[in-house]
Amino acid sequence: MLVSGFRSRTVVRKELEWFPCVPPSSVKMLIDFQWKLGMAVSSDSCRSLKYPYVAVMLKVADHSGQVKNKSFEMTIPQFQNFYRQFKEIAAIIETV
Amino acid sequence: MAGELESCKPLSGLLSGLAQDAFYGHPGITEELLRSQLYPDVPIEEFRPFQAKMRGILKSIASADMDFNQLEAFLTAQTKKQGGITSDQAAVISKFWKSHKTKIRESLMNQSRWDSGLRGLSWRVDGKSQSRHSAEIHTPVAIMELEIGKSGQINPELTSAANPPVFAEEDWP
Repeated sequence: MLVSGFRSRTVVRKELEWFPCVPPSSVKMLIDFQWKLGMAVSSDSCRSLKYPYVAVMLKVADHSGQVKNKSFEMTIPQFQNFYRQFKEIAAIIETV
Repeated sequence: MAGELESCKPLSGLLSGLAQDAFYGHPGITEELLRSQLYPDVPIEEFRPFQAKMRGILKSIASADMDFNQLEAFLTAQTKKQGGITSDQAAVISKFWKSHKTKIRESLMNQSRWDSGLRGLSWRVDGKSQSRHSAEIHTPVAIMELEIGKSGQINPELTSAANPPVFAEEDWP
């Protein structure tokens, strides 16, 4: 996985300073990746929902070191594609 | 005009129209539109309770996410009820549910999803590079663009992570 764990603000800022090619201001650093596997059982529009989903909370830091949380949900097929993409990245990064 | 309402030809069309309105949220599917398109010779006072009955049946089936056994039992019960449906109508409803079940269920799941979804994902891996401060930077980096948003809304997010992965828990001020 590409999660870099917890880092202090100054470390984050330093790493973002030398970020190549893409303007530093537009790229954020991934600080933490939290996930949850949930099951929606019922709702007002559907009594028998039975809908599994993966909820993700990303902690990202911008150029100044300010940290924000971004959350989103994925269906299981979406998550499986998400996971496949990460596997591909990991395989390529090994060769660089 | 009970005969008109019992005719099965327009019933399939009616169920489609009701599904568009109840599950897919398409605007403008009014009672009058359905009547004039599918049952033009039926007065509105007769059409109204009929379409309400069909809508109720469709909603019950979708809400319970009925499998085919449950569906058969439910529709059989509806045919035996006073003011229920005919067995021909039951057959049309059964056929409709079998072909639309997946799509309707997906639509209901979408309605229950309130957090943002992942609309798109693209990525790039950068190799070694230089900067003003360092002659050579050895760490390859993966940059990902995540499109996160609710339906109809996209907020692209550019995120990066370094390799190798580190799970060191340092001080967090």
